Amino acid sequence: MKSLRTGALLLSPLLFVLLAAFVVPLLLLVPTSFQEYRPGQGIATDAWTVQNYVRIFADEFYREVVLRTIGLGAAVTLCCLILGYPVAYLIVRGNPRWRLPLTLLVIFPLMLNLVVRSFGWIVLLTNRGVINNLLIDLGLIERPLRLMFNLTGLMIGLTHIYLPFMVLMLVAALQNVPRDVEAAASTLGSSRLHVFRAVTLPLTAPGIIAGSILVFVLTISALVTPRMLGGPTYQVMATLIYDEYMQLLDWPSGSALSFALAISTILIIWISSRMTKRWAGLA
Amino acid sequence: MKSHSLLAAATALAGIVASSHSASAQELVLGSFGGSFADNVTACYIEPFEAATGATVITKLGSSSQHAAAVRATAGQSDMDVVFADDAFAVQMANEGLLVTLNRAQLSNAPEIIDGAWAADDAYVAAMLGATTIIYNKETVTTPPTSWNDLFDPKYEGRVTIGDVSGTSGWQFLAALNQMEGGTLDDITPGIEKVKPLAKSSALLYSQADQVVALFERGEIDIAVWYPDRAGVAAGNGLPLAAAYPKEGAVGIRPTVSIPKGIGQEELAHKFIDTVLDAENQKCFSERQFIGSVNKNVTLSDEVSAIVPVGEALEKMLFLDPNDMATRLPEWTRRWQREVLR
Repeated sequence: MKSLRTGALLLSPLLFVLLAAFVVPLLLLVPTSFQEYRPGQGIATDAWTVQNYVRIFADEFYREVVLRTIGLGAAVTLCCLILGYPVAYLIVRGNPRWRLPLTLLVIFPLMLNLVVRSFGWIVLLTNRGVINNLLIDLGLIERPLRLMFNLTGLMIGLTHIYLPFMVLMLVAALQNVPRDVEAAASTLGSSRLHVFRAVTLPLTAPGIIAGSILVFVLTISALVTPRMLGGPTYQVMATLIYDEYMQLLDWPSGSALSFALAISTILIIWISSRMTKRWAGLA
Repeated sequence: MKSHSLLAAATALAGIVASSHSASAQELVLGSFGGSFADNVTACYIEPFEAATGATVITKLGSSSQHAAAVRATAGQSDMDVVFADDAFAVQMANEGLLVTLNRAQLSNAPEIIDGAWAADDAYVAAMLGATTIIYNKETVTTPPTSWNDLFDPKYEGRVTIGDVSGTSGWQFLAALNQMEGGTLDDITPGIEKVKPLAKSSALLYSQADQVVALFERGEIDIAVWYPDRAGVAAGNGLPLAAAYPKEGAVGIRPTVSIPKGIGQEELAHKFIDTVLDAENQKCFSERQFIGSVNKNVTLSDEVSAIVPVGEALEKMLFLDPNDMATRLPEWTRRWQREVLR
């Protein structure tokens, strides 16, 4: 009984901040999302409508943006996992002398401002940017490749920015894998690949889940990088919400989209964590 | 006893500090646009205002739509005392009842201001006259463009930039094309159809005016639908840019100043707007920002007159009713997102 109360007391500052700064403002948006926006006049407070929500599913453009956002989230997560796992493995299992420099290398991008990092990619990827100029000078291409304002640019930028989160999660998970379990499997005649597939990978599943959820959620809610590398043409849900709020002043539509994003995020996290837990034999 | 007197002294001291603070240092928060605009607002409006009133001006930078969103979010207790916003957004704020009706009696310069600058019910007043028109690189474009159609010339393919519909130049260019193609404000289809190929081949659909400077600097574009005032500033910094006014008519921009409701210092805010409307300050701003003045008593230098619309270009200029635009822009934006960008 006492420990429960102590636990609640320890939690309360964070709980209070989350409730006051996150849950309450979110709930305040609920009524707005059911109101109608009349251009030129403002938000109509006298009528209620579900049109803002219906539009997200009925309207082809919104549907495309929603699917694109979720697809982008999944793709960036997969890229981070594939690129990040070997790095994490090398940090934990490689030469201990390399551990610190490698970890620093992974963390280093986090020390730079997000806008600076995204702008760096603009300098590299734009039509007359470093990459295109180099390829043109080498005579490999004649017209600049379109590396920005499309999926390519966003994938590159977001994978780079969120890779450190994945690697750090995987490092923690790999450190928790007891070496003697792997040794036991080897002694019993497993090949190195089989040891990895049957022992190491399932044992790091909690890290994979945590890292994937983190990267996925950060990706689908990212605003700055998609705005800078996607421009006004390549919209994701976060930029669309921003535009509805700040440019069209259509707060009801923006609120409805925000809720759709929040709810789909929670659903996807719930389903994926259940699935992965079953795979890892934790359920 | 001792602690009591100490407390009393501390309270008294705090009182003196607080009252002297509110009496001498008045603060005015100004919602302004960024870039060279903000620098010139400081030089031509804020400095004379601070010198005359002793008040301190704090600027908050943003776009018209961001300012409008902020004024709505803080309805009735705005943190900004005076706001710059394009007329389509100013009229939106006025229609939502967020703005104070300007009192011309408190504005000594009001009689010198052209009639077209005032809102129907004096909810705001235009502070300057800008335009959306064609800006080109004098070194690569040898014959100055004369029509919006020149932008569609195949020789410029991929070397043109136009603005996204979210920015003023974006929807104004759409409106101008639509009118050229025989559409009306209620039927934007001809404009959408016309702009589509250009938007697809555009080097960039810019969403911030200053992005275009970088495109001209890096030589990525030869020609743009942009603002003569920005071009004038960039030309002053050494870029070989010139403005051309199409025969179909450029589109006029009226950035306005207004006072949100419930700020508690409307008199000071009126004084700031009066400073903005003053002939000398208007001339200062126009010459630095390369933008037209709303004060009848301002005569511009030749250098500025070459960039801002004057004479025939001014007569042909298309002015769109901000009330009409505020109701149509959301629909235009939706169609742009769905039909032009995909």
